[in-house]
Amino acid sequence: MLDAPSIRAADVIEDTQMRAHAVSGPLEPRFDAFLDGSQLTLVARWQGVIPIVFGTVSAAIRQRRERRLSTWGAPLVRRALYAPMSQLDRDVARVLNEMGVAVVDTLERREPDSGHPFALQELAYQAVLADRERVETELAVRWCERERGVLYLDGGISGSATVARAANVVGVIKSHQTLYAEGDALAVVSALTTGQRSSVVRIESSRRTSVASWYLRVADAAGRDPFWGLVRVEVALDDDRSALGRRADDVSRWILAERLPLALPDPRWDKMAYGIRDAEEYLRAVQ
Amino acid sequence: MSSPIMGRVVATEKKPNTAHEFHFWTSLDSPVGIGTIVRVDGERPVNGQLPRIYGIVVEGFSYTDLLSPIHDVLGHDGAPETAAQAATLRAEIRLYTAHVLRQIPDEPLQPVPMGTVALASDEDVAVALRMDTYLKAGTNTGIPCGLYRAGAMEAPIYLDAEFLMGPEAAHLNISGVSGLATKTSAVEWLLSSIFTHFPENKGSVAAVCFNVKGPDLLFLDKPGTLDDADHAIYDKLGVPAKPFERVRYFAPYTAQGFSINTLRSNEALSHNLSPLTWGLNEVMQFAEVLLNRDDVDAKADAFIDFLQERVINREFRDPVLSSPHRVRSFGELEQFFRDLLRGMEDRSSGEHWRTHHVATIRKVRNRLSNISTRCAGLVTDEGAVSDLPFGSFEDRTVYVVDVASVEEDAQDLIFARVVSKLREHLERRDLGVSHVIVFVDELNKYAPADGPDTYVRKMLLDISERGRYLGLVLFSAQQFRSQVHRRVPGNSGTSLYGRMDMDELATPGYAVLSPATRTKLATLEKGQLMVRHPHFAQPIFVRFPRPAVMRGRDGAEQFPPATDLAIDVAVMRSLRQLDSAVSLDWVKRTIAGHEEADVLRARNETLRTKPANVKSFFESRFRKIVPTEPVAVPVAVPIRALKGDDPYGF
Repeated sequence: MLDAPSIRAADVIEDTQMRAHAVSGPLEPRFDAFLDGSQLTLVARWQGVIPIVFGTVSAAIRQRRERRLSTWGAPLVRRALYAPMSQLDRDVARVLNEMGVAVVDTLERREPDSGHPFALQELAYQAVLADRERVETELAVRWCERERGVLYLDGGISGSATVARAANVVGVIKSHQTLYAEGDALAVVSALTTGQRSSVVRIESSRRTSVASWYLRVADAAGRDPFWGLVRVEVALDDDRSALGRRADDVSRWILAERLPLALPDPRWDKMAYGIRDAEEYLRAVQ
Repeated sequence: MSSPIMGRVVATEKKPNTAHEFHFWTSLDSPVGIGTIVRVDGERPVNGQLPRIYGIVVEGFSYTDLLSPIHDVLGHDGAPETAAQAATLRAEIRLYTAHVLRQIPDEPLQPVPMGTVALASDEDVAVALRMDTYLKAGTNTGIPCGLYRAGAMEAPIYLDAEFLMGPEAAHLNISGVSGLATKTSAVEWLLSSIFTHFPENKGSVAAVCFNVKGPDLLFLDKPGTLDDADHAIYDKLGVPAKPFERVRYFAPYTAQGFSINTLRSNEALSHNLSPLTWGLNEVMQFAEVLLNRDDVDAKADAFIDFLQERVINREFRDPVLSSPHRVRSFGELEQFFRDLLRGMEDRSSGEHWRTHHVATIRKVRNRLSNISTRCAGLVTDEGAVSDLPFGSFEDRTVYVVDVASVEEDAQDLIFARVVSKLREHLERRDLGVSHVIVFVDELNKYAPADGPDTYVRKMLLDISERGRYLGLVLFSAQQFRSQVHRRVPGNSGTSLYGRMDMDELATPGYAVLSPATRTKLATLEKGQLMVRHPHFAQPIFVRFPRPAVMRGRDGAEQFPPATDLAIDVAVMRSLRQLDSAVSLDWVKRTIAGHEEADVLRARNETLRTKPANVKSFFESRFRKIVPTEPVAVPVAVPIRALKGDDPYGF
């Protein structure tokens, strides 16, 4: 269900070329809340060779007060049936629509790669993922509208203009399926040591809002793969370029401060903040 | 008023709820602890009624989302001091296990359902412990035993008099390590509570306490030191914070016979102190207590029976004897034996007398004569008797028998005879009160789990098994319950536990308690008890106030015991109880020239008779001493007067 690995170009906007910066100064936990989303899918029924997938997507913000985490507002939990409606029997489609559960036509957004039943199933999973991002964004927007505290968002922030421009939201991406550095720049990124960040780059997309981003090594990767303990950070672009480096240092210190406690026993503990693990555990309990 | 919700019932496949046990979690700052009583409100009706379950917390668990401690070590790079730098505290749980006290409705008895958990209120505690069944107005049989505390809430805990004093169940046993005064304090407090709250329709009640060590029970009529917290508990439980109004003390004399053998011998306290002395009649009935079974065989036993039936307290004639004998005291018994053995020797009547072999007669003489020596001070040769007021016991009165300084044999004899007499009188309904509480400490000594089957142990077993029908209630105490014959505590309807020794808690008798409950028992503060009572489905923890009586140690300091008294002082003190006009000078004049034994006999007769004119009665007990007159010595007249001073006349 992962996107295919890819490399995309990104303009270095802090330096003339990608280089490593040591993040200095005392580590300071400044995040007030952590947002994470989750999805759960299962094939509810096969109509012949056509899968009907039941999906649950959810998102929650865990707010930190006096070092303890509790849920901010209400979590968003949505359930729906995902199926290629035009390929179903008319009677089955009618029954699905009358069940009182939201029905998502997986063919509305994208065509399948083939008529293979697994391709249809993959299409449903992608639709569920898209819905998950939607509820995460919805919740992040609510936060931006109501709160001034800094939100740690697990993932990118460019999906919503409101979130992408908010000064109090930091997106932290653990997955590196898409890299925003290549060649020498990628070598600089992979050679970052613990507590070092890369130069800030601008990430642009036709369908998304541009954001500032940089790589940060939060855990020692000695003896491991180059992406061990490496996260990519997204924040809102600042017109004042001279302030970019300072902002990147500050936010990096905040993220590094989240290394304690470790997110163990989660296997992604090298990149994951404990607040995100807590949000995931919370969603597992409520979804 | 309903308490706020502070937890939720939780059940998993690994830790399911049952009809007798359930689990719940709470916030980290909830006031729940081991022993807390909680109320569960079910969310789905059963037979049209929402179930309500009451439970008591018996175990607590705390853990975080870590799977292994090594993860925490890794997270802190092995440096514990960095824990304070963690941006977030790990998710943590407080999970408790509770045992069910009561389910409403009772039927169908189902596993505890999911629901909310709240601290039990006063009313909840009463329902949970089924106290509601015996606290009804008009039929209230509740005896306050302490306060149950949880958070800011305090609820009085009552025992049911029907199950504490009989006839439904009876007896109380208390265990706890020595030195904390918990056992004695708890009994003193409970006696106060019983004297205050014993239901009128159940009759009257008195207590007989055996003081077996130090000055523990010797100042029950003197006020003790209480603080505000104690007064608050007394007020809450409706028991006046004052010492016992009516207390009488009994103790044998010292072996010397001058003064009473007790630490409460200060003259200022002599008004309610009486000697405890018995003669042959009182002792013979319980000779079995003092005679070693291995020593007194069937033949000796038969001869003792013969003496009791044919010789003692009646005129006995026999050709072997030089004269008729009427044996009423150990002294007269000794004269009888001496006459009998001399007669057998003089008459060369062989080795048998009335089928009894001379060796048996000698053995019995030796053993019986020995009693007044072994129990000197308690048993008198001349037969003087000063006893507990059997037949005129008074309601709400404590009778303390001080045996702390008495030899072990004498202790056994005192214990056996007093309890037997109580039983006899209660059976005849002529004791003076309808219920008597007998308090015995150091039960492991009197009714040990192993060891010989003594008379005292048999009697204790008998009380514990049948006493409740008579109104004879045993309050017993010991350090180690496991070392006491199991039928005694087993028959105690109510059991109290103070702080316990861990080794004792490791014995099988405590296996029914959870590890956390056992740990709590091992660390109980002074003034805390665990209570088991027939109405309570599970043991509960209560606090009780310090007794409103003077502590033994304080009493001994404030009223130091009299040091060895001279016979004249001892007699003066004894007689002053009858007549305050008795002076030391008068006593000295009266007893001058008389033998100690005669003086003591005169004193004992006076105390026993309680005459209107004490002085003249006491004087009349002595034989008249005829004063000696100087003998006129004749002066020798010399035959011839000498010249000068030379006696030889040179």
